[in-house]
Amino acid sequence: MTDNRDNKNKAEMDIRIDYDNVDVKDIMSQIQDRIAAQAEAPSEKENKKEEPVRSLSMPELPDPQPTRVPISKSKRILLKLMRPFTPLIKLLILPVQHEFMESVYRLDFTNKRLDHLNQKMEQVLESLSGELYRSTDHLSTKIDEYNDALNLRLDLAFHDLGKAMEYTKLLHSLSHNLVVEMSKLKIEEEDMKIKARILEKDFEFLNNRERALEKQVFK
Amino acid sequence: MKIAFVVQRYGLEINGGAELHCRWIAEHMCKYWEVEVLTTQALDYITWRNHYSRSEDSLNGVLIKRFPVSKSRDPERFGKLQNRILDNEHTFEDELKWLEEEGPYSPLLIQYIQENQKDYDYLFFFSYRYYHSYWGIQAVPQKSILVPTAENDDIIRLHLFKELFRKPRGFVYNSEEERQMIQELAHNGDVPGEVVGVGTEIPDQFAADGFHEKYGIEGEYLVYIGRIDQNKGCDELFQFFLQYKRETGAEIKLLLIGSSILKIPVHPDLIYLGFLNEEEKFAALQGALLLCMPSFFESLSMVALEAWALGRPVLANARCDVLKGQCDRSQAGLYYSDYSQFKQALELLLADSELRERMGQNGRQYFQQRYTWSVIEQKYLALVRQLNKES
Repeated sequence: MTDNRDNKNKAEMDIRIDYDNVDVKDIMSQIQDRIAAQAEAPSEKENKKEEPVRSLSMPELPDPQPTRVPISKSKRILLKLMRPFTPLIKLLILPVQHEFMESVYRLDFTNKRLDHLNQKMEQVLESLSGELYRSTDHLSTKIDEYNDALNLRLDLAFHDLGKAMEYTKLLHSLSHNLVVEMSKLKIEEEDMKIKARILEKDFEFLNNRERALEKQVFK
Repeated sequence: MKIAFVVQRYGLEINGGAELHCRWIAEHMCKYWEVEVLTTQALDYITWRNHYSRSEDSLNGVLIKRFPVSKSRDPERFGKLQNRILDNEHTFEDELKWLEEEGPYSPLLIQYIQENQKDYDYLFFFSYRYYHSYWGIQAVPQKSILVPTAENDDIIRLHLFKELFRKPRGFVYNSEEERQMIQELAHNGDVPGEVVGVGTEIPDQFAADGFHEKYGIEGEYLVYIGRIDQNKGCDELFQFFLQYKRETGAEIKLLLIGSSILKIPVHPDLIYLGFLNEEEKFAALQGALLLCMPSFFESLSMVALEAWALGRPVLANARCDVLKGQCDRSQAGLYYSDYSQFKQALELLLADSELRERMGQNGRQYFQQRYTWSVIEQKYLALVRQLNKES
């Protein structure tokens, strides 16, 4: 079985191998060339498929043959009346119509190709938009995560800042109160000094009085 | 010469990644040096909960000193923190906090290293991204050799590690791509380093036929070995494989070996065998047409090396620089970065048995030249000799 397969497939593979000096890199490069050639082959087939459409055979129309038949008077009048429309009638019956039909076929084929391409493009766009959507989704999730982390940090920073502001306010009111208290103490000190001076004078007066009284008593 | 290997977990039960890498290296190098392993008491890498109760132990002739993890990891909290670190602007302190959460948080291990550094000539730190490596290297920069086991992910671009990668005395890289990535990130070209990797042991006897009979496997198959996980690119592999089957009608199966944390689609040609022992694993690999390696992040794929050791080609994920580089260097595997490449590469490998044969031979040769244990051991010895000379 193996030998049969050997002969059959060797012919199919068509890879040159020097068995006395096997070169793996060379074999791999031949394999890659073979894969590349196989990848090109289907596109050629597609081209071949398109050819019959391009050389579209048009239905052959019979050539208008001149006829010589006796024309009646009424018919002659009718022909005279129709003379202004002669070019249009000629256009309809002459081989121009053949070209016209061919153009229509071509246009129809082109439209079909365009529809096909359009459909393909839509598929590609759909897959691309899916990819884009996924990646933007991922990106926006990441951005949201970073945003949340940033907001959290900002909240913490603002919280710390608020605390610092409160402390500063408290410090201000504390210093104000201290100044007020110091002023009060200063005033009180002045007051006490005056009172001490008054008491000193009173004491001096009482001393003088005491001495005067002593003099009066011991006289 | 006394050498310490410092690693986040250590034990027979741990059979993956940097921990197994460290165990194999320690067990092989104890022929040449007096080897000690300094590790934690953790078994589970999600929570780092203490599991091993003994503080000193011995395994396959290697002395192990275990230190308790002081704070186990809360995966949910760690996940949130990691997403925040990776998606947002952050400070160096945030990264240190992340490292503490990443764990395994064992300050006693770091304290031991700091206090007993005189007892050791060199300390090999495995896995750059964990707590023990960062703080251990800070404690003994002049005696430390880092085995980064780095993958090309977002974690390696943290500022923390740029600084760390300039500290150790030497590096043991797993691959050329890993060296290039770290040197581009940290500009540490002046720090001595060697691309070494890790060897692997192929069992002497394993019967592919017996394995096929036991599991009822008929016909040709591809194999995936490793953790069945979305991070390992398994869901993409299932999708590509089933699409390939639909389009070509090929009669091929995909065998899945390893513990699964991913829902495997129900399909008769997707055969899940669970975790197998080494003999069965190698038997499955031996019987496969090729190994699929769909992982996006690898610092060194041990299972790819095992496939090459058995002469099996590899179909790897080209978006993993290390796997792509290994396929290019070994000439023993093809790679894909999308379905069309997967289809073409698989079709070619299935169709051309001569190519599979030649690639298998190339793989075997690549393994013999770089990843047998004698080669690995000599590279470790040479690096230490070079550092001794410099000092």
